[in-house]
Amino acid sequence: MTDILQILLIGAVLGGVYALMASGLTLIFGVMKIINLAHPVFIIIGAYISYWLFTLVGLDPILSMPIAMIALFCLGIVVYKLIFEREASSAKYSEMTVLLTFAVALSFDGLLGVLFGNIQRITSPSYAVEAVMLGDLFLPKGQFYAGLISIALIGALVAFLKFTRFGYAIRATTQNREAAQLLGVNVGLVSTITFGIGIGLAGASGALISFIFSFFPARHWEWIALLMSLIVLGGMGRLMGAVVGAFLLAIVSAFVGSYFGSTWSMMTFYLALFLILLVRPQGLFGEKME
Amino acid sequence: MPESTALLEVRDVVAGYGRGPAILNGAGITVEEGRTHCIIGPNGAGKSTLLKVVSGLLPARAGEVVFDGESIAGLRPDEILRRGICFVPQERALFPDMSVRENLRMGGYIITDRADLDRRLDEVLEAFPVLRERGGQRAKSLSGGEQQMLTMGRTLVLRPRIVMLDEPSLGLAPRIVSQVFDIIRLLKDKGITVIIVEQNAVVGLSNADLGCVLDLGRTMFEGPADGILEDPRIRELYLGKRAGAA
Repeated sequence: MTDILQILLIGAVLGGVYALMASGLTLIFGVMKIINLAHPVFIIIGAYISYWLFTLVGLDPILSMPIAMIALFCLGIVVYKLIFEREASSAKYSEMTVLLTFAVALSFDGLLGVLFGNIQRITSPSYAVEAVMLGDLFLPKGQFYAGLISIALIGALVAFLKFTRFGYAIRATTQNREAAQLLGVNVGLVSTITFGIGIGLAGASGALISFIFSFFPARHWEWIALLMSLIVLGGMGRLMGAVVGAFLLAIVSAFVGSYFGSTWSMMTFYLALFLILLVRPQGLFGEKME
Repeated sequence: MPESTALLEVRDVVAGYGRGPAILNGAGITVEEGRTHCIIGPNGAGKSTLLKVVSGLLPARAGEVVFDGESIAGLRPDEILRRGICFVPQERALFPDMSVRENLRMGGYIITDRADLDRRLDEVLEAFPVLRERGGQRAKSLSGGEQQMLTMGRTLVLRPRIVMLDEPSLGLAPRIVSQVFDIIRLLKDKGITVIIVEQNAVVGLSNADLGCVLDLGRTMFEGPADGILEDPRIRELYLGKRAGAA
């Protein structure tokens, strides 16, 4: 029993982290229908920012998280303005963006490789190697903090979407772009800012994972498959879907890892993606596609 | 027709999508304050396109759009909205996963004063008690008639001067269609000028004061709706077999 609770706990904490990693991806898809294959590259850039701030000036990665978030928000807006905005009116937009984001991923991957080399790195504040005991249960402090902060950030994002005027505009644009425009929403501005927020969230999650996962420039290829499986399971473009998907798959993969060995836990996500596309391509909460 | 009574004057408009051919080729309509207008014409005549030009969604290549004595051609959709011209597109104008209240709130998106917006929402809920009852429900869970009611209620939040409806009866059962036209009459009673595009010309015209016949992107005829319904030539050309039922 303790074993099962232990696995559930680890899975739940990782689920929170995965949910934050995926939140920006699903938000951007919802508003702009961009399948941002470069999303995990931005997570890795966020991780590098926190890594270097810790290594060079000793700034705690949790404290540098807002810096990574703001920096990536700005980078997101620049990338959107330079690359996506002028494509937005093209009829082949969705197909184009897959290629474009693939190219963006490759470029940043290469750039990071040149700058920092293909070395595995991990930020190592003291709590990264400590643990908390909850009764009989054991939990690495780093994962615990990262999970809690991720859930708090998602809570803040949900509140922002639910209660602010700009949040209304984002949700409206996601659900019916033309109608939102007719009611006076500047959908171009909403798209730009949403892209920035999405990439900013990637930056924040990068700061958090920098002390729980080791990373190197090309690691994003592994993560995009993981993130895609989460948001496809929840229904593309649905934030709560991505969150539920993240918790479900993180817990399942924790069980798989514990019973079949950790080599197989990553396989859980690929297998899940495959099964969802076969059985319920619209995801748990998505509408049936026409 | 004397110039002074026209609230909106659209003249000689040429418009099309992207680099494509012109859909409108000299279309126009004279809209009088407080009256209900119905635009009819065959498929592809440019009826919806005309509404899109007026609402600013589609720029006109040539022609004039004058509202309240001022040219509004070339303005952005939100600027036109601010002047009191609301466009309700064909079908699916709602935000399906937002609640009824949230949809209404979106109707007043351009109003930044929260207290003012709350007052306006109350007004609309007063006029449509069903919407108050369903306030927390998602829009997609409403029936077809209730969805149309919500769509029109949402435009009322802005206290518009002109409401343009693109095929409000599309896909609705006949009983619901008559409810929709009841709501349109309610708009008229509130002093709002209404422009309807209707595929079902007879139903549309019998619920309107003035009619406008569009074909091949041109305005063929404008005048009192009952006159159009009785005109044997128009009946033969544009009202088809249904004319007998009028």
